[in-house]
Amino acid sequence: MSRLGRGLLATAALLAPFWLQNPYYLHVAIMAGIFAVLAMSLNLLLGYTGQLSLGHAAFFGIGAYTSALLTLQREWSFWLALPAAVALAGVAGWAIGRLALKLRGAYFVLVTISFAGVVSLVSVNWMELTNGPLGLPGIPVPTLGPWSLRSKTAYYYLVLAGAALSWLVCRRLVHSRIGRAFVALRENEPLAESVGVDGTRYLVIAAVVSAGMAGMAGSLYAHYTKFVSPEVFLFTYTVTMVIMVIAGGKGTLAGPVVGAVLFTALPEALREATSWQWQMLAYGVILLLLVFFLPSGIVPALSARRRTPTETPAPLPAAKGHAVGAASSPPPIAPTRAAGGGHAALPKRPAPAGARLQVRDLTVRFGGVAALGGVSFDVEPGTITSLIGPNGAGKTTAFNAITGYLTPTGGDVVFADGRLSGLRPCDVARRGVVRTFQKTSVFPALTVTDNVMIGLHLQGRAGLAGTIARRRRVQDEEAGLAAQAVDIIEFVGLTSRRDEVASALSYGELRLVELAVALAAAPRLLLLDEPAAGLTTAEKTAVSALIRAIREQGVTIFLVEHDMRLVMDVSDTVIVLNHGRVIARGAPAAVQADPEVIRAYLGGAGAA
Amino acid sequence: MNGLVLGGTYALLGIGLTLIFGLMNVVNFAHGEFYALGAYVAFAAVALAGLHFFLAIAVAIVAGVVLGGLCERVVLRPLRGESIDTVMLVMIGLWIAMQNTELLAWGGVAKSVPHPFPTAPLVLGPLSIAPLRLFVLVAAFVLIAGVHLLVHRTRLGRAMRATFQDADTAALMGVRIHRINTATFALGSGLAAAAGALLGPVFLVYPSMGDLASLKAFSVVILGGLGNLAGATAGGLLLGIAEELGAGYVSSGYRDAAGFVIIILVLLLRPSGLFARAERIG
Repeated sequence: MSRLGRGLLATAALLAPFWLQNPYYLHVAIMAGIFAVLAMSLNLLLGYTGQLSLGHAAFFGIGAYTSALLTLQREWSFWLALPAAVALAGVAGWAIGRLALKLRGAYFVLVTISFAGVVSLVSVNWMELTNGPLGLPGIPVPTLGPWSLRSKTAYYYLVLAGAALSWLVCRRLVHSRIGRAFVALRENEPLAESVGVDGTRYLVIAAVVSAGMAGMAGSLYAHYTKFVSPEVFLFTYTVTMVIMVIAGGKGTLAGPVVGAVLFTALPEALREATSWQWQMLAYGVILLLLVFFLPSGIVPALSARRRTPTETPAPLPAAKGHAVGAASSPPPIAPTRAAGGGHAALPKRPAPAGARLQVRDLTVRFGGVAALGGVSFDVEPGTITSLIGPNGAGKTTAFNAITGYLTPTGGDVVFADGRLSGLRPCDVARRGVVRTFQKTSVFPALTVTDNVMIGLHLQGRAGLAGTIARRRRVQDEEAGLAAQAVDIIEFVGLTSRRDEVASALSYGELRLVELAVALAAAPRLLLLDEPAAGLTTAEKTAVSALIRAIREQGVTIFLVEHDMRLVMDVSDTVIVLNHGRVIARGAPAAVQADPEVIRAYLGGAGAA
Repeated sequence: MNGLVLGGTYALLGIGLTLIFGLMNVVNFAHGEFYALGAYVAFAAVALAGLHFFLAIAVAIVAGVVLGGLCERVVLRPLRGESIDTVMLVMIGLWIAMQNTELLAWGGVAKSVPHPFPTAPLVLGPLSIAPLRLFVLVAAFVLIAGVHLLVHRTRLGRAMRATFQDADTAALMGVRIHRINTATFALGSGLAAAAGALLGPVFLVYPSMGDLASLKAFSVVILGGLGNLAGATAGGLLLGIAEELGAGYVSSGYRDAAGFVIIILVLLLRPSGLFARAERIG
């Protein structure tokens, strides 16, 4: 939306009581504002982290009851009860986030439904506190100094302020390190973890903020209707929120607001003609139709239409995993230039202190099969060390076990005097050990720059409070990160493509994006899993030049690769793995001449 | 004993859902609506059309199978290959649409299904049970046994098990995946309708009855583990008994909390289900 459009809308919203003369219209506007807060809160989870909560009515209800009980029984002022409602709903969100830890998708949905179910049953059955199904009447109207906010106009402004605040919080979060972490988890959780994004932590943050906003909506609702009953937990509210978010456009800032206004006004307009049963039936059908015909929502559909054809990213099919053919993209990609020599320098960082990776007796069993049977080796600081071996030798298993994607059955992994075994992938990344993936793995819906910005996650420190308050320090940090991203993209030679969406890049370019994302995490040790698989000869040359250039920057490299020419070309040391055991190690030439290695690769009697 | 009666029907619901979940990877939020549909069809057949009670149950099952097959064909098949979340949203839409159609068709007043059994309880030694409940229990177990036979002893069942393991490979081996999906969804919906028709005369029939049924079906599936038929049977019985005990010892107001608590606890502590090692349909 253009600046002018936003300004006009804001003015229209501010002046609404003057052009909406009819108090009934103003009532609809107030409800739309409350629902806008709810929809924005749900969107934070559903649209950005990708987790659907069908328990949002619980946070709304907790907010409403908290505010009602505090003002009725403790005679608190509304201005204290409102933050308390936000806080208590936030605590509930924290509990759900913590509880759901590793649950995603349908399981997360079920936990949220169940949570809402339990809360709703409590509200019906805990007579002493909630007055059960009869509800709590006579909730006081908020006052502001000497004025009571009894009039609809006054209350409208209160709700408008609440909605504006929510919008601001969402906006600042989304365009921040935290918001990028949310989206990273939605787009590609394993990759996000590999560059240090702590999935659990950010899901909890999203749940807390989202629940807190829903709690605020609950408080605003309670003091407007002056009555709460277990009906606030009705599933209908949750469904309405979901429809508003999906219809407006999940994962956009404006979408939920548009959805909320539309789906508050529309049913009210139809109310004369139809009963509420028809309304709910229509909701169900609308949801079905939306998924079939407008899956991304109104706001994205509108902005896509406005975009001129040249701006639309060319819908090149992203080759995922299918190496052959995809690599032969017509435009000669940048690394050819990079291969000519003279790499740009990586952003200025303290030179990584040399640290040795020690793998001792590493064992991984899948059922009865030992994928790794007690493997020991070192990766010396400052070297390029390659791990090779026939398919199924256990190379990727070793990578997974070192970087925390797999819990080893036995053995130890030590890096720079600290144990890596038992750490989560994001903590391994924090220690300076970053890996790439065998199958091309990027954040497909984001631009190259945003991909790299997520890679820079660990280089920033901005927390929740600083981000929402938009402190100077946080703004400076953002600018610094953006500058680093520019340098890193330059380093891998993708500058001309940095504003393209990753899914529009060629296969060869995607492999460079992967490298850039990993480099952004400032690794001391970089584990590359088949970085040259499926590339053309020219691209492979470029990649080996790039690998050397990365080492020049002081990064130790541990490489799994099938292309022997590349391996022999760049490596200082080669380790050969076969059937889960190390069968040889040493300088490339020595390993090439080793009879056991030859037997392992070419087969023959008595293969190890 | 009442716990067993409830548990038998919960197991029917759970088996239907676990088949759909495990085989088609569809989170079927509309499952409870097929349960409500079964109850309403049974009511209509007995009270309005004057059919015999047993016949009415058969009609309800057929209605569930037909509507389930139709839903799969019209709504789900075009979405094959879409993400599980998209399909989940569609199922939520279907759920709301079906429930409110029922509300519009039948009104909000609860109905009760007349049945031919005497109300005097049968006394068997220390146990006493209403004949109707005994019938429900027996019928539920006959149906459960039937499903086990279908899945493990027939060609269709083998194709279903193959699809559960790996749909693409099964398709390459000549299994008609589309048909298997339709059959699975129809079977699952038929079982839900059967549960509804059986419990209809025991309790009352009302439009929102499907919500609780869905919840219970999900608890059963989660208890038993995804796609685990034996687990779903055991999970159903366990939930039925847990509810009776909960209502008896804690508070009847919290009877329905058992399902929620089970979902939360099992997902947190043992996400693969209580009977993860038990036999799977795959």
